[in-house]
Amino acid sequence: MAFEINMPTKLQLHLSNVFLKIFLRDRQSIFFSLFFPIIFMTVFGFVNSDEVDPIKLGIVNNSSSVVANDFTQMLIDNPLFNVTTSEESLLRNELVEGNQTMVLILPQDFDALSDGAQLQLLVDAAQLQQLGLIIPLLEQTLLSIEREFRNIEPMFTLTIEDVQARSQRYLDFLLPGLMAFTLMQLSIAGSGFNIVEYRRKGILKRLFVTPIKPRDFITAIVLARMAIVLIQLSVLILFAVLVLNVSIVGNFFSFYFIIILGTFIFLCLGFCLGSVAKTQQAVMAVGNIVIFPQIFLSGVFYPIESMPELIQPIAKLLPLSFVSTAMREIANNGASLLSITPSLIGIAVWFVIAFVLATRMFVWKEVAN
Amino acid sequence: MAIIEVTDLAKKYPLPENKSDYFYAVDGISLRIDAGEIFGILGPNGAGKTTTLEMLEGLVDIDSGSATIDGIDVASHPYKVKKIIGVQLQANEYFDNVSLTELLILFGALYEREVDAADLLSKVNLLDKAQAKPGSLSGGQQQRFSIACALVNNPKVLFLDEPTTGLDPQAKHNLWDLVRELNKAGMTIVLTTHNMEEAESLCQRIAIMDHGKLIAEDTPQNLILKYAAEPPKAPLHGNIEDVFLALTGHGLRD
Repeated sequence: MAFEINMPTKLQLHLSNVFLKIFLRDRQSIFFSLFFPIIFMTVFGFVNSDEVDPIKLGIVNNSSSVVANDFTQMLIDNPLFNVTTSEESLLRNELVEGNQTMVLILPQDFDALSDGAQLQLLVDAAQLQQLGLIIPLLEQTLLSIEREFRNIEPMFTLTIEDVQARSQRYLDFLLPGLMAFTLMQLSIAGSGFNIVEYRRKGILKRLFVTPIKPRDFITAIVLARMAIVLIQLSVLILFAVLVLNVSIVGNFFSFYFIIILGTFIFLCLGFCLGSVAKTQQAVMAVGNIVIFPQIFLSGVFYPIESMPELIQPIAKLLPLSFVSTAMREIANNGASLLSITPSLIGIAVWFVIAFVLATRMFVWKEVAN
Repeated sequence: MAIIEVTDLAKKYPLPENKSDYFYAVDGISLRIDAGEIFGILGPNGAGKTTTLEMLEGLVDIDSGSATIDGIDVASHPYKVKKIIGVQLQANEYFDNVSLTELLILFGALYEREVDAADLLSKVNLLDKAQAKPGSLSGGQQQRFSIACALVNNPKVLFLDEPTTGLDPQAKHNLWDLVRELNKAGMTIVLTTHNMEEAESLCQRIAIMDHGKLIAEDTPQNLILKYAAEPPKAPLHGNIEDVFLALTGHGLRD
């Protein structure tokens, strides 16, 4: 059998139109399958909000000097800190109770003339991890305040510029991966479950006594299911963009182009599963074998580069890796299709593998009986 | 003129208890079914009736022997055969949430045909159920609907696998009337059945199968005369059930 992918024939389009109507009737499952990704995105949207919480800093000002007051005022004005000024004993209590992250004590002799006055910082060692980050920050702030007081010109100033010139939250990173993962799940389940259900009901057998060819049947189901998955993903993307303010930097058409290719791959793989597994339980089990490793290995939730060196080469060859990498490059970095050629080649190879496997494994006589 | 010709048709399956050994579900049967007849295949459970039909329909591979429908070899041209036959299977569940009309249109599409769903539904007396879902139909209505589905390609031969099993007497007679009507319009009908009355009154010729073999084939009257005839001069008293039991014995099957 020569391998070829043609444009859908009139028959295939007509059939897929009929199947689309059939699938659209099942609105419940169409919408319930969106439930999990929406919850997921929302949770990450709120947990990883843009702003870093200001550090809660208590200040005990034992000095009445102008310098001490100005110094305190500068800390109050600094957005990094949420400053409370009060008595030492009171703030110590608050620190113990966890209401303050740290307490800074300005000594009595803290004034313009002081040389090496001892500032005391009270911390709660239980929050050691956070302190490791905060203390250098505090030191920096104190130093720059000191410079200002003493009118010392700093040797340099450091401006931090995001080279990618946009704000990126974890959610922005997550969205393309989550979309890729969702399209895999919806597609595999969509076609795999359909096949097993149709077999159980004897529908496949009934279809088999008509002159429809497996290729036409597969194409029709794939096209119809693809339309459903595209609708589902569009709802998710709209939700992410409109409600959670996720930004998709790249070209929308390129983004959808990858989505369509990916959906095709996983629908075909779902067909393979449905052809192998004879019951819903079996298709679930086999489906999980395909789905689970890819969740962890395909850079959906964190970059592939953060995985052990040994696994990376294999992980990068998984179909979901190619799809999620391509989607992320487009969504996060505004990559053009041309610039993600390696991913596109991987996707194309899987496209062919999946289609050939599906048409070879889906044999009427074996699947229908 | 024969529309179906079957010669030494056989199908073997591995034994469940010993996979290297085989048993013959259909063991070398030969048949000629004429165009325009209603032909019944009778037999106890496991006699090989359904397997025989499924080989003719292209659902099951033919292990040896040959079968032609309207001169087309089933094994070498399954898709050509599928275009000219209509099939009603024992199990007839359909897609959820799809109306009868939509299902008929879908089945038409499988044959690349435009379908007049209303016309088909009125043929099987289900026009008032056009927008109903198959799940809401009664047993008799479901059988009639699956016949409507089998008619979308205006087939030359219609295969019915135990069409009246599980139907009440009214539904049964209703279905027989439908089969007679289709036959009157020129359709060849091949059906399997357990129902002796069906074989006797509906079928013009019957074949009796047991253990994968054909053990008798003739018109119901001839078979009664041959196997269950009363003494001469007396009016005919035996029936096809007597013939059936005489040939296949009284032992329970299943």
